[in-house]
Amino acid sequence: MDLLWQGLVNGILLGGLYSLMALGLALVWGVLNIVNLAHGAFIMLGGYACYYMFSGLGIDPFVALPVTMAALFVFGYLLQRHLINLVIRAPMFNTLLLTFGLDVVLTYSAQIAFSADFRTINPSYAGAHFTLLGATIPLVRLIAFAIAIALTLVLWVFLARTRLGRAIRATAQNLVAARLYGVEPRSIYALTFGVGAALAGGAGALYGVVSQLNPYIGVSLTAKSFVIAIIGGLESPLGVIAGGLILGLVESMTSLYIGATYTDVASFGILVLVLIVRPTGLFGRTT
Amino acid sequence: MNRYLPRLSLAAALLPACAAFSFATPAAATITLGASVQMSGGLANTGRYYKDGYEFAIDQINKAGGVKVGGKQEQLALKILDNQSDNNLSVRQYTQLVTSDKINLLLGPFASDAVLATSSVAEKYEVPMIQGGGASDQIFSRGYKYIFGTLPVASKYFESTIDAMEHLTPAPKTAALLFADDAFDVAVADGTRKLLQKAGLKVVLDERYSSNASDFSSLLSRIKSDQPDAVLVSGHETEVLNFIRQAKSLGVAPHFYSFTVGVPSADFRKALGKDADYAFGMTSWLPSASEKDRWFGDAEQFAKAWHARFGYEPDYHAASAVADVEAYAKALEAAGSTDPKKVRDAIAHLDFASLYGRIHFDAVGQIALPQTVIQVQDGKVVAIYGQTGFIGKAQYPMPAWGKR
Repeated sequence: MDLLWQGLVNGILLGGLYSLMALGLALVWGVLNIVNLAHGAFIMLGGYACYYMFSGLGIDPFVALPVTMAALFVFGYLLQRHLINLVIRAPMFNTLLLTFGLDVVLTYSAQIAFSADFRTINPSYAGAHFTLLGATIPLVRLIAFAIAIALTLVLWVFLARTRLGRAIRATAQNLVAARLYGVEPRSIYALTFGVGAALAGGAGALYGVVSQLNPYIGVSLTAKSFVIAIIGGLESPLGVIAGGLILGLVESMTSLYIGATYTDVASFGILVLVLIVRPTGLFGRTT
Repeated sequence: MNRYLPRLSLAAALLPACAAFSFATPAAATITLGASVQMSGGLANTGRYYKDGYEFAIDQINKAGGVKVGGKQEQLALKILDNQSDNNLSVRQYTQLVTSDKINLLLGPFASDAVLATSSVAEKYEVPMIQGGGASDQIFSRGYKYIFGTLPVASKYFESTIDAMEHLTPAPKTAALLFADDAFDVAVADGTRKLLQKAGLKVVLDERYSSNASDFSSLLSRIKSDQPDAVLVSGHETEVLNFIRQAKSLGVAPHFYSFTVGVPSADFRKALGKDADYAFGMTSWLPSASEKDRWFGDAEQFAKAWHARFGYEPDYHAASAVADVEAYAKALEAAGSTDPKKVRDAIAHLDFASLYGRIHFDAVGQIALPQTVIQVQDGKVVAIYGQTGFIGKAQYPMPAWGKR
């Protein structure tokens, strides 16, 4: 029983981090109709940005987090404006190729720039934990979870309530109608891509605090984000949170009761199931 | 989108192949050793030991005049390719090295999975491969004649550790065994399970996890609830890093834990900082002055020269890679020919002292090297237990995380 409770806690905390990882991918996918295969590389870059601010300048990782996100926003904005935008109307295959190439370039540049050494963002409180009703709760994971949920809610309110957010959603839903109402898709696209990159950067910083960084973490993180986006659907950030939590819980329970070697089987098994049963995602609009 | 997926995956498979590039092949040399190692990709961190080790050894041997083959002094050269941590690409590259690059002899890649796959190329073309990166018993149990290995047998990795555990006070009574699901780690686990039984330890948790797992909170929670005295982990460095960090954040502190990888590597200890302390590990090599070497003087001088040249500390992977090249130099001299079959027979009869230890292959092509138990104490690696018993004092039992 205690183990079950601890397993649920582990799964939920893990799921929060997963949600934040997937949020940017789902947003860009939903609005620009681009599956950004370089998303994991953005997460990796965010991790390194935070790592260097922490180890080089001694800035606390949670203070460095907004700076990391701002830097990644600018990076994403410029990248979309000058590179991705070239293929925005091209068939999906071209956008996949471009972002795949981008992923390779970023990954190998990272190896040249940062070396293949393992890095961790390891502040003194990284191992702090407390006990709640018999379950051990790692402090940093809880903070990461809270930040992930908070950022998701901010994004949700931004999309639902603000003028800019409505313009983004309008562009996603019907490009022609949005343009007729005076929305300029070019800047909306760049902005959305920037926000997606910023969210990836934030996830990377948190990932570096709970796990480890090297130039090659990107691919598996892209795959995980992809699974979560499919499970949760592209309609709303809240769906992505649910997708992340489901994946976190499934992995945690699998490793607790079935076997740790089957976690990938379980998570990708769910992906297949969702694609068969509800292709628009568990929380997506049905067609 | 579905329509494009097959083509995309084809493109994804082809792209790395086009991107593969090769490094330096000096023209004057007459005997070329070919290798395909992980210079980029997930295993690049350990792969570099092999690239640097092969280059360093070849340079050093050439500086001393090269090797004398049948009365003629010959220089060695290296043809090395980057397999991007992709075993399938590595197989293609070894085929290319043998068939179109016409290399004379083969050096191996890193890690058992890669060696398992690529050694079949060596066997098929009857070109010997001496490799210092694969230790799985599976590599040597297929009756292959052309594969030789300079890492100790995987199934005995924890042998000296379990020996040492029996001599600790209080001796651990229960153990947990965690291992990744690749060829090497499964072989380690199979051997360790038997050793634990023989030593009379009760295995309370025996769990295989998926390679590259980044979350260990569930496994750690099980360790916390089962309370084993000792935890033995056989995996990869990234996993061990995550394991230790997450053990701290979940407050899991067994009396004793030991890892097959990580502890001997400076980069690993740096990434963990103080949290690396108390971790046990093992190494088949220590930079000691008592290991004499024809080309480098001894292992201590070798370690210094390595640090001066590459800017980081060598570990047993590095020494093993150097030993592979030295084994070829010795075998070429003994064979008096570059004929792959004659060199192969000479390798099988080698027996010499190197900076890595005694190089003498058994009937299946592997060498016997004891593992020294090591522990991180105040950020430094301390040798704890060897063949003769305790060498250093173990810090045991490990205190709780809050009491360090």
